[in-house]
Amino acid sequence: MKSILGLFLVLAILVIIPAAHFVFAAGDEPDGYLDRRVVIWNLFYRMMTVAFTVGAVVSGTMIWLCWRFRESHPKATPTPYEKEGVW
Amino acid sequence: MVLELQKPRPIWQIMFSTHHTDVGLMYLITSLIFLFMGGALALAIRAELFLPGSQIIADSMTFNRMFTVHGTTLIFLFLLPFASAVGNYFVPIMVRYKDMAYPKLNAIAFWMIPPAAALIWLGFADFTWYANPPYSIISAPGPAADMWIFGLKILGISSVLGAINFIVTILKCKHPDMSMGQIPLLAWSFLTSSLIVLVAIPTFAAALFFFFSDRLGVSGFFNPAMGGNPIAYAHLFWFTFHPEVYVLVIPAIGMMYEIIPRFSRKPIFSHSSGIFAFVLLSMVSFSSWAHHMYATGMSFTEKTVFMIGTLAAVPASAMHVFNFIATMWNGRIKFATPMMWAVGGIALFFSAGAGGVVNAAMPLDFQTHDSYWVVGHFHLFVMGTIAFGSIGFLYYLFPYVTGRMYNERCQEESMIILQSQNGLL
Repeated sequence: MKSILGLFLVLAILVIIPAAHFVFAAGDEPDGYLDRRVVIWNLFYRMMTVAFTVGAVVSGTMIWLCWRFRESHPKATPTPYEKEGVW
Repeated sequence: MVLELQKPRPIWQIMFSTHHTDVGLMYLITSLIFLFMGGALALAIRAELFLPGSQIIADSMTFNRMFTVHGTTLIFLFLLPFASAVGNYFVPIMVRYKDMAYPKLNAIAFWMIPPAAALIWLGFADFTWYANPPYSIISAPGPAADMWIFGLKILGISSVLGAINFIVTILKCKHPDMSMGQIPLLAWSFLTSSLIVLVAIPTFAAALFFFFSDRLGVSGFFNPAMGGNPIAYAHLFWFTFHPEVYVLVIPAIGMMYEIIPRFSRKPIFSHSSGIFAFVLLSMVSFSSWAHHMYATGMSFTEKTVFMIGTLAAVPASAMHVFNFIATMWNGRIKFATPMMWAVGGIALFFSAGAGGVVNAAMPLDFQTHDSYWVVGHFHLFVMGTIAFGSIGFLYYLFPYVTGRMYNERCQEESMIILQSQNGLL
């Protein structure tokens, strides 16, 4: 549970810091509008770079996982839970 | 329920029973009937759009009516009742109680669905399932629109009654030896989605009340000609129906949490992170409704807040995906039909979520707004993640309920066809 809370804390910090920065950057003066567009498109490109990278890694992991751990794989062995007879 | 086939009861005994398995089965059968009916409308809509010009539907008004009833049917009469079916059947068993907390209320909640469905289908309203004013309050022909309003009102009451029943059953009727942390994740998914229903649905109930009084001409809440604001309706609508997506997706994820450990031959990797992610998703579901409305003239700060609120769903969703991956890791995966559907559902959950990130980013949202991109994203969720989780669980449930086995090969083929179709979305 502690590790999960730690992970969540890291994720929360990663989300909150750019969010706070962003909200304060969004002032009401009209001359800042162009800058904000640049900032937000920049953020968008960065987000999409991260999203596609993570997406490729996760999708690749899923495909490999399904191939490697299928029961018909030559290296497939019973899980510890099956050996103990609890599953 | 295996005993049902060995010693059948008269149908009326099942219909008027208040036992949770009987009510669950009635929810299930009803939802499947509406899946076919809503699906038939989808086929007609797609056939019409196959080529430019009129193909099989006589006029645009009829097309709009079919479009409206298709959306309303599949969301309110298929997906929600299907989740209720699974919840009714399994929640009391999972919390080790004899029945739902309020069995009669449970049966009443179910029996509200047929009259509501009759109102929606006999009315055949034409203003799409979001019924945006001012068209819906000024020009939409009655009594179709009014029947739709009353149909949704009844379905809303049914949902709230069902949600109260789930919450009380899980929190108050669970076995005393069972702590909240030990409750299966499927039951947790029903607890969190019921809490969302309890907060979200009354908002739309109020909106429908204003909407109806506007149609009668006695008020002008959403009528610009009477000083009202149609955007207010959009806020009330999306405050309900963005969380509603989570009401649909959270039980589907809960169903995957039952299937994946079973067929990976391992317990779930982290039960507590699953609970945490469900609670987090239910909270952030209310922080993102206005991302549907970036193009309505909101201020930059408001849009930023809702963009961040929407993206807050990403960590919670990712926790589920990583939980599934970690559960399958080092397992000995049996790709039976339910597992195939569940794995397909995870892949589509990921694709749909990636599309959601694009929609949440306001610069691109202006490009995709009101386009087929949004329709594709939404259908990847409902016909991808939610339907895949639900159909997978239906195959998981089928032998348990009936004592019979379906044709595995046939179902694998149907899964591959649907997966390909979702790829085209």
